Amino acid sequence: MSDTALDLQAVNKIYNPRSRQAVHAVRDLDLKVDAGEIVALLGSSGCGKTSTLRMIAGFEAVTSGAIVLAGRPIHTLAPARRRVAMAFEGYSLYPPLTVRENIAFALKSERIDQTEATARVDEIARLLDITSILDRYPSSISGGQQQRAGLGRALIRKADLHLLDEPMGQLEPQLRAHLRGRIKHFIKERGLTAILVTHDQTEANALADRIAVMEDGELQQFDTPDVLRQRPANLFTGTFIGEPPMNVFDADAAEEDARFVFRLGDGVRLAYDPGAFRPDLRETILARGRVTLGVRPHSVRIADDGAEATVDASQWLGDQTHIAARFAGTSIVSVRHDRMRLERGDTIGVRVAPEDLHLFDTATGAAISHGGAPA
Amino acid sequence: MEHTSALERVLRGAALSAVVLFFMFPIFWIVLMSFQTNETILRSPPSMVFEPTLSNYVALITGRLETQAGSLDIDFMRNLMNSVILSVSSVALALVLGVPAAYAFARHKFRGSEDIAFTLLSFRFAPPLLVLLPLTLYFQQIGLADTYVGLVWVYQLICLPLILWIVRGYFEDISPDVEHAYRIAGHGWGATFMKIALPLAGPGIAAAGLLAFIFAWNNFIFALVLASADKQPVTVGALAFVTASGIQYGQIAAAVVLSIAPTLALALYAQRYLVEGLSLGAVKG
Amino acid sequence: MSGLTISNLTKRYKSDTVLDDISLEIAEGETLVLFGPSGAGKTVLLRCIAGAVDPEAGTIAIGGTDMTDVPPEGRGVGMAFQNFALFPHMTAFDNIASPLTARRFGREKIRSGVEAVAKLLKIDHVLSHAPKALSNGQKQRTALARALAAQPKMLLLDDPLRNVDAKLRFEMRLELPRLLSEQGATVIYVTQDYKEAMALADKIAVLVEGRIIQMGTPEDIYLRPADIRIAEQFGDPAINLLEVTPERDAQGNFVSLSKKRVELGPGYDSAVGRPCILGVRPEAIGFSGGAEAIEVTIEAETPFNEKTVTLATTKGGREILISRPAGTPAPASGTAGIDIDASAAVLFDQETGRRIEPGSDKTRARDAA
Repeated sequence: MSDTALDLQAVNKIYNPRSRQAVHAVRDLDLKVDAGEIVALLGSSGCGKTSTLRMIAGFEAVTSGAIVLAGRPIHTLAPARRRVAMAFEGYSLYPPLTVRENIAFALKSERIDQTEATARVDEIARLLDITSILDRYPSSISGGQQQRAGLGRALIRKADLHLLDEPMGQLEPQLRAHLRGRIKHFIKERGLTAILVTHDQTEANALADRIAVMEDGELQQFDTPDVLRQRPANLFTGTFIGEPPMNVFDADAAEEDARFVFRLGDGVRLAYDPGAFRPDLRETILARGRVTLGVRPHSVRIADDGAEATVDASQWLGDQTHIAARFAGTSIVSVRHDRMRLERGDTIGVRVAPEDLHLFDTATGAAISHGGAPA
Repeated sequence: MEHTSALERVLRGAALSAVVLFFMFPIFWIVLMSFQTNETILRSPPSMVFEPTLSNYVALITGRLETQAGSLDIDFMRNLMNSVILSVSSVALALVLGVPAAYAFARHKFRGSEDIAFTLLSFRFAPPLLVLLPLTLYFQQIGLADTYVGLVWVYQLICLPLILWIVRGYFEDISPDVEHAYRIAGHGWGATFMKIALPLAGPGIAAAGLLAFIFAWNNFIFALVLASADKQPVTVGALAFVTASGIQYGQIAAAVVLSIAPTLALALYAQRYLVEGLSLGAVKG
Repeated sequence: MSGLTISNLTKRYKSDTVLDDISLEIAEGETLVLFGPSGAGKTVLLRCIAGAVDPEAGTIAIGGTDMTDVPPEGRGVGMAFQNFALFPHMTAFDNIASPLTARRFGREKIRSGVEAVAKLLKIDHVLSHAPKALSNGQKQRTALARALAAQPKMLLLDDPLRNVDAKLRFEMRLELPRLLSEQGATVIYVTQDYKEAMALADKIAVLVEGRIIQMGTPEDIYLRPADIRIAEQFGDPAINLLEVTPERDAQGNFVSLSKKRVELGPGYDSAVGRPCILGVRPEAIGFSGGAEAIEVTIEAETPFNEKTVTLATTKGGREILISRPAGTPAPASGTAGIDIDASAAVLFDQETGRRIEPGSDKTRARDAA
């Protein structure tokens, strides 16, 4: 059992609390981040992730609740005394200083000697591929380089917590995969605790041990990327996580001729051996009748004996093929890791294995089951 | 942060009141003066307590001014009319000339375009007297002295640069893509100017027109030199109250109140245009 | 018939050459994607075709008619802008109707035309809204509807999905091909997203610093990139680029990585002894326990879009990215062996950055003979 590094306890943030435009940006947020863990706060704009980050960093006061870092309550401290290092979304380098001075600036408060400081700057510069621009000024380097320098300034510090706000949004695409790997390695090797705030799930998935999915100021689910993908707690997480997004259909469940059947739109039926679903789950589903059925594009198989679908688009992206087809009165997307040559208008068979089915409550969106077992 | 203490609010209120008092006091005092006779105005120490009278306004509107030295005919209503004619026609002409020119300067960068635009603006820097003397001579020779046409022409020195520079900025703020989109849709450049550029710069044109109107209305020196009594605007007309028997402060105050009334009303009416600005929000920055 | 022919097009801003002698041809009904980094000249080229920018030299013919000196309103093209460029003071309906009013259609014809295209793009319920009352996705669809409304023969789309969120972008990417082929128009589509380019293009033209450095099918561009800059841009995670010097022995041409042979196959004779860069896609590298495997240290595993990307370093300190479908067994952390599928590798000349085509030296020899 690892120690808790950061503990958010029933944190609320309300802007303009007494006015009519009161905005409840963060609602009763409880979140525990273990020491040495990388956690991503993931959500679309306005979901409360940035408010949360700003409260942890101290740029925003908590309306109620407590923030405890390494055993110290920090939510009343000034930002400089929280022992939190932060990389900003805007590059926010000091324009009159060179990149080297910008990065070394963060070390001033640590009172370490010059040679060690230089060594540490050089190391971080190698990591972020900015060695060649260390003596340039921020105005003369590209956006991607500025963002890397900003990251360097945050990562070089020794702090109880590192906050990274959209740290890779501006990075050059061809560098991203390398930098993700190197930064993850760097953080893990030093045992740093980091919180990454992003709207980009690719980034969250790549770097984070656990992801906190937020929407409308509320925490939707907090778990590892694998669990988020395989066992989403509700329809929101299910459709939000995953690229391309999950296919969703409304379906009526029934038992016909000893088969367990989902009737989708346009007369399409998905029939399964009842044994694929646990008996108690079968009863729950039949009692509800109508459910929302989700299946990830990577799990949509194309097979001759499947339900009929008509190809709308088949797009080869080099390392994968995306196929969109008209199916059950709406459209379905299938993704495969190989190349598949299909033309628009081709008829294909679509099959979904019972273990790839996610069922949600049509009214509330809460998950009912994942792959034949209750959620 | 969003928490402010009671003390902060009180201090902020006091500071704001001081600023408002400082700027509004002269106007407030003028309004008070316009309801007083010369005697009450000139008593020392000045007092806020007096018996209000409408005599100043009556004198202005009827055109007869009674002083100790006798009665005097003044033509204030005519001056007011002159101000309206001069300002409205000057602004109208400046808009007709200036808006297309501003559009040209905003959209077509040609060699020297920046210099021409700056030269036009530089008319605003020169003291009016610099141009007035030669103009007076020329105008007399070609018969433009003491005509509305001549005055409106000279007033372009005030209105045109203002409209050109303000409206150019508004045109530059319109994304060229919006205009390209309209032309690519199949409309000619004339239609694009009328249907896209003009409406989108509308608030800016209104603002520039209003400012030009106020500057034209308040102009003193051009009319003083180039116009005789029957063409003079209110600014010059108010001089008539400096009489041989003394300065008629009450009437001057009333004249000032009457002459700022239209500009004030216009400014209040157009405020909404000025604030609305260009933020119509379809084009992302 | 040719949908669009551009010959020797050049555009300069002051001393800056933005388009440098561009020539290209597209068949009618084809979709050409202009791909390149920002500042490469894509948007300027598009504007030249639309008539919004005048080129210094060169000609543009649309559907066989020379349009070089025709003003934008006479070219009969439809265009969608990256920033949407909707008319803010008009409703969505009037925006979409603008190409129809320009053609002086009757009121009834305009109404039915707008409604048809709005329905196609699923915005028929917001036609009375002003642009500022539309969501980003609706703005983007309105802009697209306006471009399509007059059913132009030539459609110019300037990165139309840039300003919408990832989910919408994905949805539109799958929806667009059907929409475009139903229109039957010749399409030029500008993008910086290689996936959009691969997905939508019949042909891709890669523009760098005002020049087309390769034009070909998505397959050509992805599998046989003419230049190292193209290889870098196509693929996510990006292609591995390893500095090598090809060698030759009795068994053939090869490069050595961490003292292990990677066979190049025949046809690379001209590359032997020259400093080169070997490009290997992350998905063409697999983990292996064989004796010929290259030993690497695993630095980090980063899950990526139903794949797992591993960053590893060789003994010589080279970084290598390896990609495999998610859920396939992982090597234990620490060290592992990897295998490079040399048939999928490409070789670039280090000095020029151009790809060395296998067998090209032989062909040349034959031509000489």
